[in-house]
Amino acid sequence: MSTATADLYYDPYDFEIDADPYPVWKRMRDEQPLYYNEKHDFWAVSRWDDVEGALKDHGRLISGHGTILELIKANIQMPPGMVIFEDPPSHTTYRGLMSRVFTPRKMNAIEPEVRRYCQIELDALEGQSEFDIVEVLAAKMPMRVIGMLLGIPEENQQAIRDSTDSGLRLDSSDDYSTAFKDFSGSGTQDLFGEFLDWRMENPSDDVMTQLIHTEFEDHTGVTRTLTRDEVLGYVNLLAGAGNETTTKLIGHTVRTLAGYPEQRHELRDNPELIPNAIEESLRFEAPSPIQSRYVAEDVEIHGQTVPAGSAIVIVNGSANHDERKWGPTSEEFDIRRSMDHHLSFGYGLHFCLGAALARLEGRVALDELLKRFPDWSIDYDRSERSHTSTVRGWDKLIVVLD
Amino acid sequence: MRVVVDLNRCEANALCMGVAPEVFELTDDDELIVLQEHPDESLRGRVEEAVRQCPRQAISIEEDS
Repeated sequence: MSTATADLYYDPYDFEIDADPYPVWKRMRDEQPLYYNEKHDFWAVSRWDDVEGALKDHGRLISGHGTILELIKANIQMPPGMVIFEDPPSHTTYRGLMSRVFTPRKMNAIEPEVRRYCQIELDALEGQSEFDIVEVLAAKMPMRVIGMLLGIPEENQQAIRDSTDSGLRLDSSDDYSTAFKDFSGSGTQDLFGEFLDWRMENPSDDVMTQLIHTEFEDHTGVTRTLTRDEVLGYVNLLAGAGNETTTKLIGHTVRTLAGYPEQRHELRDNPELIPNAIEESLRFEAPSPIQSRYVAEDVEIHGQTVPAGSAIVIVNGSANHDERKWGPTSEEFDIRRSMDHHLSFGYGLHFCLGAALARLEGRVALDELLKRFPDWSIDYDRSERSHTSTVRGWDKLIVVLD
Repeated sequence: MRVVVDLNRCEANALCMGVAPEVFELTDDDELIVLQEHPDESLRGRVEEAVRQCPRQAISIEEDS
């Protein structure tokens, strides 16, 4: 490695880098499109073509050892039903069970209910001059919506969210090795388990009931329904993956638009631009900006061999800013940007199952906010970033109304 | 060319239908129908665009031999 680039350092556990990773990612794209981090022993790709290529290469860059760097490193046994941590053929089987549950058509059908919920929460803020948007909406809304789809009673939902959150959080930069010990959801297992047992006796028209009763042919050729553990794994994944990320999407969108009053006004006057603004927000600040994979067999990237047994970090948040794909305005926020797709939901086999749901929640939240509060700014002194190595965004975001 | 859709992969994201509605249609039950298995060459550009845009990589093109 040449001395000129010796000071390029990327570390997903470094809170300072995480606060504004874009300059580091740009240097990675320009100087070391295949980057190696010695301290934590991982490789990383950051350019659009390489990131999309890596996401497609699910035969060699596998998910079965986890998709979070510390999980891969810790060599933890994955609980059953966690499709995000599986490869074909079992991935195909599990994912197929939910493949028609979160389609754009089905998600758009629940829009009135999602909107009504959002309106009630925001109407309650009338008369206030400031609020923490994470607390009053961004954290509650995804839980409420996924809970609604699963059929979970409202009173149980906050307890589940608290439990998922604490499983994902890093307490300090050095704490990553143990941060995920509870990711299998030991806390939420109990909460979901109670509900699951009740739901087995009391079927309804919800996703939980569907998971319990749908017959399928598993990858060994046996026709059966999911076991209790598999259902719990699945439900934990839906709740875990659906909550944190959507919370971050709403927070990022509100924060970014605080800095672009003209675009905010344009959106207020032309609500039909909101869906594209949400896509741009997803591109600009990916809620889940890095994905990790286990290297199952040697791969060659930019002339170098990444050996089997390595961990590789796929920086989709960087690909979304790659000048090679987006041109000279790649680092700018533009609600009118014309794009075919970004990589914030991944691509291919593990493409976010809840993409249409996240989009729905994002656009409804933004629409209802703009209708009530056309102008706001952020009090950064009292806002707080969250620190995880996989989800990036705000735990607390103080919105001050102008 | 022949349009091939892996229905195990398809999750009804509907992007293909937006790009090439002459070739792809989603039913009300979110099942994908290929309207033209052998579309005219003039549609090639848009079918290739659909292949690229499908987030699940469910669409491919096989060349006629």
